[in-house]
Amino acid sequence: MNRAFIWITRGVYTFFGLVFVSVVAFKVFQPVQVLPRIRLGPGYWLLDQDGQRLTNEDMRGKVVLYSFLYTRCPGDCYGIVPLLQKVQVQGPQIMGDIPFAIVTITLDPAHDTPEVLKAYAQQVGAQPGLWYFATHPDPKRLKLIVGAGFGVWYEPQPDGSVRFAPRYVLVDGWGIVRGDYKYETIASTEERILRHLGVLAEEIQNSQGSAKLAYEAAHFFLCYAP
Amino acid sequence: MRNRTFWLGFFGTLLLVGLGWWAWDRFRPYAFHGTVLQSNEPAPDFTLMSADGPVSLSDFRGKIVLLYFGYTFCPDVCPTTLTELKRAMELLGEDADQVQVIMVSVDPERDTPEKIQEYVEYFWPTFIGVTGTPEQIAEVATQYGIYYEKREVPGATGYLMDHTATVTVIDRDGYVKLIFPFGTPGEDIAADLKYLIEH
Repeated sequence: MNRAFIWITRGVYTFFGLVFVSVVAFKVFQPVQVLPRIRLGPGYWLLDQDGQRLTNEDMRGKVVLYSFLYTRCPGDCYGIVPLLQKVQVQGPQIMGDIPFAIVTITLDPAHDTPEVLKAYAQQVGAQPGLWYFATHPDPKRLKLIVGAGFGVWYEPQPDGSVRFAPRYVLVDGWGIVRGDYKYETIASTEERILRHLGVLAEEIQNSQGSAKLAYEAAHFFLCYAP
Repeated sequence: MRNRTFWLGFFGTLLLVGLGWWAWDRFRPYAFHGTVLQSNEPAPDFTLMSADGPVSLSDFRGKIVLLYFGYTFCPDVCPTTLTELKRAMELLGEDADQVQVIMVSVDPERDTPEKIQEYVEYFWPTFIGVTGTPEQIAEVATQYGIYYEKREVPGATGYLMDHTATVTVIDRDGYVKLIFPFGTPGEDIAADLKYLIEH
């Protein structure tokens, strides 16, 4: 009787030990990695390069990389344009069947009219339907969307230029911010964005049925892709 | 002796299976019907006007808040969503007092605090309707990912408001926890809220 009781006790301890080890192994080895669900992306309507309304509802269901600049920004504008040109080519390949878009919001609405945006889009080789240029005609509302909504600091200058902190924001199809890229860290911003697009695509494609639990567990244990 | 060993082995196995079931039920991640957020940033606070005076999101800390943006002239989407929220409240039973539904008007020109309160009370007596200046509404809506825009239509109403129709769930500690897309059944909303209340 005592021996049987000892074996049952051992079995119970082993069971809990295995559960504990499994949880620790999941956290340490991170077999599934995800991007954090950082916050809600802002609600907005903007005017794009064709003078059409562009809203966050239009982007529902799409993974969107937001970026910010102004068309009179000199040179390659802090490297933003070359980065987006690469993302424009590689992003759709990485995302596969998942709808993907780039939205560049310009910070100089007085100058960046739809006509100016259209010319700029052609100049940088933006593919229509994939890479949008847009702004809000009301500077106050633009500040609300870009400043409070996306967290981008910018300040128009008397000489017509705009001082701003370059930033990219990755938003998923639910309108949730999944990546926020402020400056170069250990890896280049470009490399991180492309890698993160892959992580997000994998999550969207695979998190169905029982696999969804693994992805939820990855969120729960903060298994975030670096 | 052999018989006793068999039964002990049998019950021991049964115990382990039971423990396994309990552990799975207790620790498996709950599959929410709504879209989950795991933000470490508190939901933006706001103060808007209700029929009983100013109302802030932070007034409801300790309760689960369901935030919905709509307007009283809304022909279809708003009544449908509020009906589902009413259904969720019915299903929650006594737990419904731990949940506060707040509807923010995206049509501040026409919706007075009294008007929107009368509108939401039609669905559930504890629902609160709030409104504010166009600037206040723009600020709150932008921060909660809500698009809205006036659309002129022929007829007596003059215009309708196009708007995002999601329901945002803010947990007891003031963090955005879930988003329900338009059309989420009251049963699914109630199940998720029940889980949040119990955990």
